[in-house]
Amino acid sequence: MHCARVFLLAAALLFAPAALASERGLTIRAGDLYAEPFSDAKKLGALTPNQPVTIVERRGGWVSVEAGGQRGWVRLLNLRLEPAAKPPAGRSTAALRTGSTGRTVATGVKGLDEADIRSAALDHAQLARLEQLGVGDDAAKQYGSANKLKESKVAYLKPGKAP
Amino acid sequence: MIGPARVLGLLLGGAALVATPAAAQFGAIDSIIGKAQSAQRIGDGLRKINEQEEIKIGGDLAAMLLGAAPLIADPAKQRHLNTLGRWLALHSERPGLPWKFGIIDSDDFNAFSTPGGYVLVTRGLFERMRSESELAGVLTHEIAHVARRHHLAALQQSLRNQSLSEMRSYFSVSTGSSIGDRFSGALLSAGKDLYARGLDKDDEYEADRIGVVIAARAGYSPWGLPGVLQTLTATTDESKYGLHNRTHPLPLDRLARLDAAMGTRFDSLPDLVDDLPGFAALRKPPAPLAAPPGPKPPPAKPGRRRP
Repeated sequence: MHCARVFLLAAALLFAPAALASERGLTIRAGDLYAEPFSDAKKLGALTPNQPVTIVERRGGWVSVEAGGQRGWVRLLNLRLEPAAKPPAGRSTAALRTGSTGRTVATGVKGLDEADIRSAALDHAQLARLEQLGVGDDAAKQYGSANKLKESKVAYLKPGKAP
Repeated sequence: MIGPARVLGLLLGGAALVATPAAAQFGAIDSIIGKAQSAQRIGDGLRKINEQEEIKIGGDLAAMLLGAAPLIADPAKQRHLNTLGRWLALHSERPGLPWKFGIIDSDDFNAFSTPGGYVLVTRGLFERMRSESELAGVLTHEIAHVARRHHLAALQQSLRNQSLSEMRSYFSVSTGSSIGDRFSGALLSAGKDLYARGLDKDDEYEADRIGVVIAARAGYSPWGLPGVLQTLTATTDESKYGLHNRTHPLPLDRLARLDAAMGTRFDSLPDLVDDLPGFAALRKPPAPLAAPPGPKPPPAKPGRRRP
């Protein structure tokens, strides 16, 4: 019983959208807080621009947030993340920087910056490896059907009104 | 084709009429034709290259990027990326390209594509994806750059004054041609500029708009790409996001433009996939070998045994 519960918890953690607990955001524009992730759902209240929120869950184009003591849903496209001193996943940045080019010089963290590209030589052995990684249409279609990916006809978008 | 052949015929005809030593005449004519051809510039010619030629250029530019950061040795992840990438590319305008996808060994957060269907993402980006739809958003943005030949259009500007015959030589000879090498050198230099400087902003906005549509066509949530752009709005870590942020428009600007273009148009699409368990397992960074240091358990008191 106990073991089963631990396993379920572990499975839930494994498949949950990664590490959302620590994400904090700000609204970009004024908007509404909805009771459910639909635009015709009940409105719980108004959000002001740059209102701080804590992100609880993501679902498609909607994000569940806690804002001003209330929990509700906002549109993903009306949310930015609070600028963090560290990258979002909270990984360590054990690298030393040197000079104005900002090249990474130490401790096993490999960067890829302009200087790396400027000094790169053609690596045709690596290209040969890349060529071998490709898969055929059949494997791709098999993946689509095995995961029940539902194809739709969707027309390309015109540019919207420039912000 | 007709032009140079006819000119050659006329010149030869003229040479035959004047009865001077034939070899000397032909030698001089060859030299004149050679100079005329080598003086011809690419001009708009890069726009008109065929698919095989586009793939050759893309392969060399991919080899250059791989020279900066090699592929990771993780067959399961590389296979997943290629299967997903191919599935997505089948929903683009150019499903028939020999699409190749690769994860390169860098902790940075970035993705690249080159003409002909080569797409590279960094290990750091792969591991920081929240969901498969976010990875799909990154890949479809790159697929859009390839499908719309954005890189070729940018290279066209830099290579306009290169010799046309040297480009032809580069395409026709696989290796070892010193004339082709001259074009190869110019291409490499123009390519480095391009990948260090970035594409036109309008090409980036267009790739965003096309990317979300390809993802939705293939059954994924189109909000994966906006989710990645949202991640980028928080990036102050110059070391990992520096090159990406210098070569792309501001993420807030891209989000605003996507918002304006997408509106509520995707709200009614049914059964879109956010994430899949197979990718959730793959993107988890490997667990540390040793348990993290915690408080030590109190030492067992000697002499007190249970019966």
